[in-house]
Amino acid sequence: MNEEKQQTVSRRKASVTQNDTRAQTDIAEHTGQGSDLRPKDTRWFTWNITRSDWDILIGSTTIKLLLYPSYRSTDFEVHRNWLAITHSLPISQWYYDTTSEWTLDYPPFFAYFEKLLSIPAYFIDPKIVDLQNLNYDSWSVIAYQRTSVIITELVLATALLRFIPGSVDPSVQRIISAALFLHPGFLIVDHMHFQYNGFMFGILLWSILMARNGNKLASGILFAILLNFKHIYMYLAPAYFVYLLRAFCLTPSGQVEIKNFLALANAVIGVFIASLGPFAVMGQIPQLLSRLFPFTRGLNHAYWAANAWALVTAVDRILLKYIQFTGAKIPVDADGVASSSRGLVGDTVFAVLPQVKPIHTFIITIICQLAILAKLWTNPSTKSFLTALTLCGWTSFLFGWHVHEKAVLLILVPLSLLAAERHAYFRTYLIASVAGIFGLFPLIFTPAESVVKVVYSALWLAGVYGLLSRRVYEYPKSAIYVVIDLGERAYLAGFIPLLAFVTLMSLRSHRISSPSNGEDTTSSNLEFLPLMVTSVYCSIGLIWAYLRLGFIYLFEESTYQGQLSTIQ
Amino acid sequence: MDGLAALPSEGAIHKRASRKRTSSLASNDRSASSPPLPALHHWLGTPPLSASSSRDLAPNSSLPSSTSAVTSKNLAPGSPNAHRRSFSALYLRESTPGRKSLRNRQASNASIASTYTNHGGGENLHKSLLRSKRSQAHQEHAENGSMGRRWIRYMHKRGLKSWVVPSAVAFATLLKLALGVGSYSGQATPPMYGDYEAQRHWMEITKHLPFREWYTYDLQYWGLDYPPLTAYVSWICGYIGALINPAWFALDSSRGIETAGSKLYMRLTVVFFDLLVYVPAIIMFVKVWQGTRSKRTQEQAILLLLLQPALLLIDHGHFQYNSVMLGLTLLAVNFFATGNDLLGALCFVLSLAFKQMALYYAPAIGSYLLAKCIYLGQRHGTTLFTRLGLTVTAAFALLFLPFYVPPFAPGPLHILHPITRIFPFSRGLFEDKVANFWCASNVLVKWRRVAGEGETGRRWLVRTSTALTALGFGPAVAGLLRAGWTTRIKDHTPNTKIQAKAKADGSETTLASNPPPFLPLLSYALLASSMSFFLFSFQVHEKTILLPLLPLTLLMSAAPPGSALHNWGALGNNVAVFSMWPLLKRDGLAVPYVACVVLWNRVIGYDLVGCWEGGVVQVLSLAVYAAALALHALELVFPAPARYPDLFPVLNVLISTPVFVLIWLWSLKCGVEVAWALGGLGGSSKDRAGSPAAVEGKGAVDVEGAGTAVEGGAGARRRRVEGTGGYFD
Repeated sequence: MNEEKQQTVSRRKASVTQNDTRAQTDIAEHTGQGSDLRPKDTRWFTWNITRSDWDILIGSTTIKLLLYPSYRSTDFEVHRNWLAITHSLPISQWYYDTTSEWTLDYPPFFAYFEKLLSIPAYFIDPKIVDLQNLNYDSWSVIAYQRTSVIITELVLATALLRFIPGSVDPSVQRIISAALFLHPGFLIVDHMHFQYNGFMFGILLWSILMARNGNKLASGILFAILLNFKHIYMYLAPAYFVYLLRAFCLTPSGQVEIKNFLALANAVIGVFIASLGPFAVMGQIPQLLSRLFPFTRGLNHAYWAANAWALVTAVDRILLKYIQFTGAKIPVDADGVASSSRGLVGDTVFAVLPQVKPIHTFIITIICQLAILAKLWTNPSTKSFLTALTLCGWTSFLFGWHVHEKAVLLILVPLSLLAAERHAYFRTYLIASVAGIFGLFPLIFTPAESVVKVVYSALWLAGVYGLLSRRVYEYPKSAIYVVIDLGERAYLAGFIPLLAFVTLMSLRSHRISSPSNGEDTTSSNLEFLPLMVTSVYCSIGLIWAYLRLGFIYLFEESTYQGQLSTIQ
Repeated sequence: MDGLAALPSEGAIHKRASRKRTSSLASNDRSASSPPLPALHHWLGTPPLSASSSRDLAPNSSLPSSTSAVTSKNLAPGSPNAHRRSFSALYLRESTPGRKSLRNRQASNASIASTYTNHGGGENLHKSLLRSKRSQAHQEHAENGSMGRRWIRYMHKRGLKSWVVPSAVAFATLLKLALGVGSYSGQATPPMYGDYEAQRHWMEITKHLPFREWYTYDLQYWGLDYPPLTAYVSWICGYIGALINPAWFALDSSRGIETAGSKLYMRLTVVFFDLLVYVPAIIMFVKVWQGTRSKRTQEQAILLLLLQPALLLIDHGHFQYNSVMLGLTLLAVNFFATGNDLLGALCFVLSLAFKQMALYYAPAIGSYLLAKCIYLGQRHGTTLFTRLGLTVTAAFALLFLPFYVPPFAPGPLHILHPITRIFPFSRGLFEDKVANFWCASNVLVKWRRVAGEGETGRRWLVRTSTALTALGFGPAVAGLLRAGWTTRIKDHTPNTKIQAKAKADGSETTLASNPPPFLPLLSYALLASSMSFFLFSFQVHEKTILLPLLPLTLLMSAAPPGSALHNWGALGNNVAVFSMWPLLKRDGLAVPYVACVVLWNRVIGYDLVGCWEGGVVQVLSLAVYAAALALHALELVFPAPARYPDLFPVLNVLISTPVFVLIWLWSLKCGVEVAWALGGLGGSSKDRAGSPAAVEGKGAVDVEGAGTAVEGGAGARRRRVEGTGGYFD
């Protein structure tokens, strides 16, 4: 009887695995003898998409489709305008056109990408690509642009799928991949606010995947391509540079691998020629660069990104209030007072503290990055590279000049790949994700969408926590860990009252602003307060998590070997 | 590992089979009280039989229909049973000892199984092989074939069992909120706007006006025409909303207000009442009616009901509070199943008092309660009848209190105001293009011309539609009453042990608080009654298809993908959403329409082609879907011709109506089958006692000594009876 049962079970198992090629692959990989079982896996275009993967895609796409009519920022019109520019103007005019105030300020690959998108757009609705048709928001353009985001996001989905086979624990990687694909950051920034981050982070993840799989040349090329899509990825470039130089162009003993070096150099130069070449021929490089790097902007973006400067600015504002209140004899900058009363708009000028110049931010960023890069140089493993990449982006985010809050994705995406390494990483990931995503909340301020963003993020967080926390749990080793643990829990719990405060304030401001729009000074101050509190509270978490990860990376990494370290 | 769990161990099978045998001999053996198959519908308090048995092969339709189909096809065409296919399938299923164990054995070892079944003959070997293969595929599909199932399985394996229902509810809520971001009925269409503005306007007037003016204030602008419970709920919503922002509900000046804040508040009230009434009702339904099914099946049923696209789109997209009315009716049905008839009646009164559309269910529920009174016999029945009458009257009197009691109302006759507002017979035969009998046949027969002009014509139409509706639900009502009569408890000869015991104890509560054996008839009666109202009654909206959809979806919720019942339910749901397409399109809900339908079909694992058996319902579904897709494609490519501006809606009606008619007929057929099976098993009809099925049914009844006995007996009947419902193809 038992035999019979066993037979049935094994047969059932077989039939299950037939439907689940991934499982088959896993078994084959673990047993190491199934080379004939997985002939398909060697081909690059076999995605091993399981039915659960389709489920995730369908489920998330449903929500994204429902959010078609949701709030969209000016970025929507920016991208529509770029469609129009690239479609109706010759390439020589792209970086000169000023019909709309939203001029083209992304690198050429993105312009080419928009050109590509504009071709079907013309056939769907010619008005989409009409240059003079500013602020066009008919259903056709909304549906077209939103759909293009969803479709190009498949680049991200495929990269994440490819991360699963070949990882140390595919089931954990599957959770991480799903968590990244469903990341609230993408939902908020791409599918509501409107941008193409999913697409571009897809390229970044392909590049990281290539690095993990040992194809460093491809990794470098993909990153060069990515840089030519959006230059914000320069935040990550130092880590790439050091990693590729050390691990690809030099042998472990320090000899130059001239063949590798030339291959990489030529490839990268080729990418840049493909991108900038046409403009170099036309002699437009200075104009292009002036569009890409407008140094006329202020220290902080419209909403303060949750970085170190938000904290410094807040301290300055509090000091100013203190001085105005007590009348203490401390010199106060008149511009700073004006700047503080303007709330969020315009340049940030400090009233009490010394002014920060771009050069200062640059120096601080470089110093912090150097420490990380030195560590990467001594230990150029994949995991070390991923950590250094995260920390590089993080440093730039925290100390950079005029950082956008959306740049927090540069931290959260690579950090996600490290989430299940060990408890310390998971905790860092948790704090950074909560603080980073909450820091994105002010992007969406319309009531209905605000509820969606909060509920979605909470659901996502619960899912990630429920699925990952138990796998990485470690018992605290000493009293200091217990104290840190308690502090972090208290910090995370603090987001609930913060959310309540922000919600109440927005209710209040709605109530005040709806009958009369007259007194803008009081109302703008009231609107400004929750934003400031959000920025400051999130920046505390992000700075703490940064220090946490930096400490682990610089001092603990050699003693502790996580999952990823086994992959070389 | 799942496969392992799905298989009961051989030992258990043998034990059960031997139990079965001993039980039929020793009728008083209480340890053998578990029936050979888990009962179909159970209510609170009945323990599940065992983990293995409830997982694998539970109720009505979870027996893969292919098995039955093949089985019935095995019968020689000339055999006397051939014309009673569905019953013969059941007959075979139940007359073979340990049928279920056999089936599993077939799955594991077909040759042993085929010899064991005593079917004899070499050809049976091949047939049972085929059968086992098919059933295996079906079971595979049922376990792993749907998105919901896969997700539930994943969660269970991760040790997150207890999170399944909360996260399902949370996901559904997220979906509702995301739907709420989109447009609603009548958005930005002054001066009258749409249903959204009507609901908002009622909050506005109930907040500001005394009771006496609620049903009389400026009737031209969305005068209140729903029963008092809606008015009270509106009053609460308006009161709280005005606390947040008085501008949202300022009298008169807030008409047509479309600020983002007020819209969110309105949307949130729908989500809130949905979570308050409908979601608990669903969870209770699953616990009460599917208590013996595996936990995963129950959770899948919850998911299926939560994400039902028609209700989602109408309540959270178009904007209405249907889920409250449906949820209250569902609660009523749940309470009937637990034996709390008075509480159930109260819930149904609340449902009626929330939205008069719940009247569509009234024939079914009324006749069920009447049948129960008949079933209980003269003494207990009269008591129950009196109590029900008092409860219902008192509830209505209380609900309408402010409209006829002097301090609030000018006088008792003031109650005519709400009544005439609630039942508007002065409107047309149907509204817009609705997929019912009148609108569909209007293509050929111009009913207005047939009826004649003016008041007489209108009266003729009202009378004809009422008569047709009554004809439509008549069989269901008659079936319920007859079932109550045939299974009634005679004062002198109790026909089951439980009745005898109850009589001996003299406890009235035991009987009255147990559901009657004809309870499963109720679900089909609800479907037949509401569908006949939808098809034939006067003044029907396209949205009212939600009412027949509720019982249909409840029926399908526990059926495995690929079974006939599942196919009927999915077809009904999909066509219902399709029939509302013109409305949804007008509301700007085209994209949510596609998204919700695709998601729901994925979640329930609807796979028409993968489980193809060529049954009636599958062929019908394919044809209907092809037509619907063709119509959508046509509408996308070509504008409506100027001569026939309503061409597309009319085509839509012509595609949808036949499906609804067939579902109505199907529900009647199932009802008749169920009623017939009940009659055939009743203690009064001794003539059928010789047939094997009846013997087994009797055996099951006899075995159960006390306490849960009615469950067993009724369960056995119900199982048979529900099964017949599942095999219509």
